[in-house]
Amino acid sequence: MSNLAFNSIRKTFGPTVALQGLDLDVRDGELISLLGPSGCGKTTALRIAAGFEAADSGSVVVADENISNLPAHKRNMGMVFQSYSLFPNLDVASNVEYGLRTRKVDKTERRKRVADILELVELTDQAIKYPHQLSGGQQQRVALARALAIQPSVLLLDEPLSALDAKVRSSLRDEIRRIQTELGITTLFVTHDQEEALGISDRIGVMSQGSLEQLGTPAEIYGDPANAFVARFIGSMNEIPATVVDARAVRVLEVVVPTTRSHDFAAGERINLLVRPEDTSIVAEGDSGLSGTVVSQTFQGSSTDVGVRLAVLDVLISVHVVGSTEGVLRAGDQVTVAVDGARAVFEPAS
Amino acid sequence: MSSRPLRSRLSRIGPNLVLLGALVFFTAPLVSTARQALQTVPMPLLNWNTLSDKWTLAGVRRIFDEENFWPTLRVSLELAAATVVITLALLVPTALFVHLRLPKARALVEFLTVLPYVVPPVALAAGVAAFYRANARWFFTSTYALVPFYVVMALPFTYRAIDAGIKAIDVRTLVDASRSLGAGWVTTLRRAVLPNMASSLISASFLTATVVLGEFTIAVTLAKQTFPTFAFEFFGRDFQGGVALALLTLVMTTVLLGILTILTRPKAVRAARKTDRLAKA
Repeated sequence: MSNLAFNSIRKTFGPTVALQGLDLDVRDGELISLLGPSGCGKTTALRIAAGFEAADSGSVVVADENISNLPAHKRNMGMVFQSYSLFPNLDVASNVEYGLRTRKVDKTERRKRVADILELVELTDQAIKYPHQLSGGQQQRVALARALAIQPSVLLLDEPLSALDAKVRSSLRDEIRRIQTELGITTLFVTHDQEEALGISDRIGVMSQGSLEQLGTPAEIYGDPANAFVARFIGSMNEIPATVVDARAVRVLEVVVPTTRSHDFAAGERINLLVRPEDTSIVAEGDSGLSGTVVSQTFQGSSTDVGVRLAVLDVLISVHVVGSTEGVLRAGDQVTVAVDGARAVFEPAS
Repeated sequence: MSSRPLRSRLSRIGPNLVLLGALVFFTAPLVSTARQALQTVPMPLLNWNTLSDKWTLAGVRRIFDEENFWPTLRVSLELAAATVVITLALLVPTALFVHLRLPKARALVEFLTVLPYVVPPVALAAGVAAFYRANARWFFTSTYALVPFYVVMALPFTYRAIDAGIKAIDVRTLVDASRSLGAGWVTTLRRAVLPNMASSLISASFLTATVVLGEFTIAVTLAKQTFPTFAFEFFGRDFQGGVALALLTLVMTTVLLGILTILTRPKAVRAARKTDRLAKA
C-alpha cells in the first residue's frame, strides 16, 4: 500500500484552466473524496493520477516514486468509472481476470484471486454471466472487483455510484467503504454528491474552479467550512444580512449575535451571515431573537425543517427543530428565532 | 364502444399498405428475374395457362460451362479479400484515433470519406491510371492495381459502418479501463475493442466485398477482367444465362449475408442465451 500525492499540478484545456496548482496528499490507506460542482477539475485530477491525461506542470507521486511520466498501463492503479465499463464480450470472471492476464499471473493464481475477489464483492454466483445480464449495481461491483483484483497501489473511483438508483447507491457506497477499509487501500473518490462524500470519506477535498477550497474530515468540512463556497456546497445554509459590530459579534437588525470565526471585516461593514439550520432555533416569545412567520414545515422523521420568513429583512430561512412540530406550529404563526453564530461564516454583502 | 376497435383497425391499414407496397416493390423484380432465368416461355406468351411450362436450369448450367466463370470469380474474390484487409487496416485505426484523440476532426474525416461519391469512377480511374502508367507501370499491369481504387470506392460505406461500431461501445471508457488494468495499446485493441466491434467490422467487410464484386466501370476502364466484366460480356452473348447469373449471384449473396448475420451475433449474446437455457433447465 502507498500514498498518492499531487504536487502543484496544473492543467489547461485550451483557454480553460482545469487545475491550478493542485496540492493534495492521500495518505496510506486513506479514502479522500474530491467533491465539487461539474467542471471544478476533480475528474481531471483523477485522470491525471490514472495517466489518462498529462499535467502541464507538477508531479504525481505514489509511494515516493514520481510516476508523472509513466504511461497509464504501467501505473498499477485500479479504476472504477462512472459509466459501466465492463468489457461486454467477456463474462464476469473474465472481466475480473483481465488485469491479471495482462500481468501474466499464472492460471492457478488467477483463478484463486478471481474467486476470492468475487467472494469479497458477493458475486460468486454471477461468475459466468455477461455484463448485460447484470443490474447496474452488480456491474459496478464487478468493476470494483476487477479494479481490486490487480492489487493496485491506489484505487481511483470516478463517480462510480452516479448512474445507480438511490437505494443501490447507498448500499454500494457502504460496500465500497467496507472493502476499502478491509483491504486498507489508498483511495481517491470523485463525486459531486455531498452525501456520498460525507458518508464514505476519511477526508474530503472540496474543489472549485480548479482549486482545492478546503481539505478536512467530513465533520470539519461541515462544521467549520473554510469559506462561503464550501459552506454553501456542503449541507444547507441560511443567509442573513448583518452588520459587523466587532471581531466577536455581528448585528442582525437589533439583535447582537456573538461569533467566534476570525474575519477581516471592519466594524459597521455589511455582510451576509451564513448559518446552518441546526444553528438556529425557535425560542420562547420574549427571548432575544429575530421575529418571523412560519411559512412551511417539512417533517423528516427525526426532525422538522421549519421555514420562517424573517420580519423586516423579508428573508426566508430554514430552522431545524428536533422531532415533530405537528400541533405545535402552524403556517402563519409568529415566532422568535435565535441564531447561534459560533459556526457562522461571513461573506461581503452583495 | 365499437368505434375504438374499428378506428384502431383502420389506423393499421395505412402502415400495412406501405409495407405491402414495399414488399411488391422489392420482390417483383426478383420474381421477374427468377422467371426470366428459369423459364423459357417468351413474355408475350406468358399467361395462366403457360405459367407452369418450360421451367429449366439450362441457363444456370451454361454459367458453369463458361471457361471464364471460375477464374473471374476467383479474381474478384481475391480482390475483395485484399480490399477488405487494406480497408480495415487503414480505417479502423483512423476511426479509433479520431474518436479518442481528435474528436473535433470527426466532421472533416466524415466529409473526406464521402468524397468518392462525388468523383465519377471513370474520372477516378482515368486520372489515377495516368499516374500509374507514368510512375509504376509494373503495378498497373497487375489485376491487383484495382485494389486501391476499390478501397477508395468503399470508403463511404466502410467508414460509416466502423464509425457506428465505435459509437456503439463507448470506446473511450473501454480503452481507459483496459489501460488502467495494465494492457498496452495492442492488447487493448485485440481484447477490449475489436471483439466488441465484431458486428460493425463484419458489416464493413461485407459492404466492401459487395462493392468489389459489383464494380464494373473501373475494371473496364483499366481493361481488367473481373467477375462483373465477365457477367456483362456473358449477358451480351446469352440473355437467359446472364439473367441466371444475376439470380445466382443474388442467391449466393443472400445466403452469405444470412450466414454472416448468424456468425456475427455477439459472442456474449450467444453465451448468455446458453446460460439462460441452462438456468431454465
